[in-house]
Amino acid sequence: MPQTRPPLGAVASYSFPKPQRVTVGGGTVVAIDVPGQRLVSLRLVHPHGGAVEPLDAMGVNVLTSEVLEDGPDGNSSLAPALERHGAEWMSRVNWDGFITGLDAPANRVNEAVRLFADAVRRPALNPDDVVRRREQLLERFWLEAATAGTLAMRSLGGQLFTGRYATPLGGGPVRLADITPETVASFHAESIASVAGTLVVVGDLDGIDLEELGKTVFGDAASVPERESSVPAPPPGELPRILIVDRPGSVQSALVIAHRAPSRSQVDLPRAEGISEVLGGMFTSRLNMELRERLGYTYGAGSRFDLRRDSGVFFMSTQVEADTTAHSVTSSLEQVAELRESGVTEEELTAVRESNTVGLPVSYSTARSLAGALVDMVVHDLPDDHVDRNRAGYERLTKESLDSAATEYLHPEEAVVVVVGDADRLRQPLTDTGIGPVEVRDPESLWS
Amino acid sequence: MTTIGAAGRVGQYTLDNGLRLVTAAASTGQVTAVNLWYGVGSRHEVPGRTGFAHLFEHLMFQGSGNVSKGEHFEEIERLGGDINASTSSDRTNYYETVPEHALDRVLWLEADRLETLRDGMTQEVLDNQRDVVKNERRQRYDNQPYGTALERILRLAYPEGHPYHHPTIGSMADLDAADLDYVKSFHKAHYGPDNCVLTVVSDLDPEDVLARVEKYFGSIPARDFVPEAPDASLGAPLGGPVRDAVTETVPAAGVFIGYRVPPYGEREFDAVHLASAVLGQGQGSRLYRSLVVDRPIAADDGGAAADILPFRYTDSLLLVNMLAREGVDGDVLEEAVREEIAKLASGVTEEELERARAVMERDHLQSISSPAGLADSISSCTQLFDDPELAYTWPRRWDDITAEEVRAAAERLLVDDNLLVVRFDPEESSEAETLQADAEANAAGAS
Repeated sequence: MPQTRPPLGAVASYSFPKPQRVTVGGGTVVAIDVPGQRLVSLRLVHPHGGAVEPLDAMGVNVLTSEVLEDGPDGNSSLAPALERHGAEWMSRVNWDGFITGLDAPANRVNEAVRLFADAVRRPALNPDDVVRRREQLLERFWLEAATAGTLAMRSLGGQLFTGRYATPLGGGPVRLADITPETVASFHAESIASVAGTLVVVGDLDGIDLEELGKTVFGDAASVPERESSVPAPPPGELPRILIVDRPGSVQSALVIAHRAPSRSQVDLPRAEGISEVLGGMFTSRLNMELRERLGYTYGAGSRFDLRRDSGVFFMSTQVEADTTAHSVTSSLEQVAELRESGVTEEELTAVRESNTVGLPVSYSTARSLAGALVDMVVHDLPDDHVDRNRAGYERLTKESLDSAATEYLHPEEAVVVVVGDADRLRQPLTDTGIGPVEVRDPESLWS
Repeated sequence: MTTIGAAGRVGQYTLDNGLRLVTAAASTGQVTAVNLWYGVGSRHEVPGRTGFAHLFEHLMFQGSGNVSKGEHFEEIERLGGDINASTSSDRTNYYETVPEHALDRVLWLEADRLETLRDGMTQEVLDNQRDVVKNERRQRYDNQPYGTALERILRLAYPEGHPYHHPTIGSMADLDAADLDYVKSFHKAHYGPDNCVLTVVSDLDPEDVLARVEKYFGSIPARDFVPEAPDASLGAPLGGPVRDAVTETVPAAGVFIGYRVPPYGEREFDAVHLASAVLGQGQGSRLYRSLVVDRPIAADDGGAAADILPFRYTDSLLLVNMLAREGVDGDVLEEAVREEIAKLASGVTEEELERARAVMERDHLQSISSPAGLADSISSCTQLFDDPELAYTWPRRWDDITAEEVRAAAERLLVDDNLLVVRFDPEESSEAETLQADAEANAAGAS
């Protein structure tokens, strides 16, 4: 074989497909045609997420989203009806959006969408179904939180925020219990049924009439009302600090080192995400190379931003062998300090710039990923050419702009270190790190 | 080089050294998915060397003759590409999805580690990746509620010494015993072009892809010795019911049930596959309707209680898993699950069968909807069945399987003397009591 590596070919220029937009009544259909893609992705976006829930109805989005699966006839009848059309229901709630949708074979989209529209606009919302789903969700909270990494992530909100973000998105494990069938019905009537939303459609659109789809899905619902948001305050407490969530007998510890960040619209995305990629966004990023590839403490380590409409979070996360916990924490913080002090290397700059420019055909090679990009644009009010603008931002990155992003966006001095693991084993070594005060809590005491 | 046939949606070629190449078209532009299936998995491991095929997969990213440690990942990530690998009992796959202009580079990287991995391997690299894999085991098995379920299921399903008796991750002790010489001999024994299917999904002309593959892989010699896979035949039936009862820190009782069923690819496998979908795939499935919605004694899993672990070279496993609701005894749930399974022998309706086919076809379409997924499916169908077109047509296998065939398969196979049960029960009888006990223990300063 040739002993020298072959040069890369010429990079073809890439533009994100320009979506078609059709306004139908109070809503808008945004669509991308992908000829040959037989599985069509539909997503209906209501820009009402967990962040704007009143504090006496925490979890109502998630519960309503679950109850929609009971369908217009109730008693969990929606999914089986869709399954007969080979269609898959999806619903997802995040802090800024209530998203429902379908993946369906192109030749069955029209029938499936009629079922879908009924499910979203005219669900039965039987009180028995609501109570059953609510109890299942409450139990599922602890089933899922039995996994150390999940518990660590869920513990984070209360360490960084007061208000809505202090309680997990689903309202569990406590406040969700207060949501009544009446609360669900009124939330659904006001925020979902009567609001048209935006319908995203991606796949082979041959034979699909977008206007008809819009009519079916929007009916006579009204357009989306204006959203208001305010930045939630942090809780009291010294920073940096360490919280150990006790999980006796754990052979590994789940770590999350996090601090608050600006909102999505306030950050310069290529610079912020670029610096996070250098630290922990890729396999070859600094955290993974140090904790996994040099020290062998973990199966993987990384970092990222969770950017919302009104605020954000930056976090590093990993799961490490129990006895290496304290050193993993100090090593992670040292990686951040080093990056802030010395900035990025030429190789790192090139990797970030190129992976986010020439790699776009890979990122958008499925209907689901294209639909995901469109949903993101709807939720965050971004223009149709957002992906191309963002790419231009990455092309403009320099060492100076990334170095300044490290000091602007990474703040280890404001971090909370959450460790889910065996407290008896971890308390002393974590105290000895001198990072800050160490508190130990049982998981069930974290939420009230 | 021979062209086997380029009809239909794929191009199919075999190089002189035995490497099988399949090309197919991508549905979005400017992207190339490369997928290699090597015909080696944990079934090739010998006692005392469990976990080795998977540890070896890690080592394939640690540098070769012309590529330094970490460089393979770096090259692909810099291109914004996706890259990873996985190991199962039957095969090891490696895959990259990259912008089309990087195809030559990817082929060269893959060819280099196929031909010269042994030159880049050091003790330091081996020690590091052994630690990484041990942490992978902790993360997925030992520190995870119910994490050891699969390991326990395999132990019950296949006798001691059988190549499917152990899980791909292997044991900590065997991982410790891995040495550098064995790494090199493993590469020599299993990693040859004659043991590889290479699939390229792209917009490029198949002949162009062939020329490039020939350029980078064509001169790599086939293995001079092909090791025999350990005997995977099963002399005796399971002899069930067999069970493994575990009491440990889990949030709820967990019921894991398994049955030996025919190897992947046989018609009766397909019939049982449909039975598993009737039973526990989707929210229209029997277990979901009966035990999540109607009674309801099982935790809501969204309709994912039953599935098949497909093995090509020995009996596959039909697996059923449900977790108990709060306050529900594990015995009650287990009995209810077994009752639902037993009812399949009384027959399934046409409507149930139609739903099962639709759900399975949807899942199949989902799996081939990305270039990487399509490439993987094609590699699988080529490696296991020598027929890449099956990646597109697989759901048609279910069209003519009748309700009676599904019923008959259930009646023959889903019976107690073919049954294994792994049961997890919390240390206390309910989650609430467990939490209470933990709280008290912590308050008292116990460990």
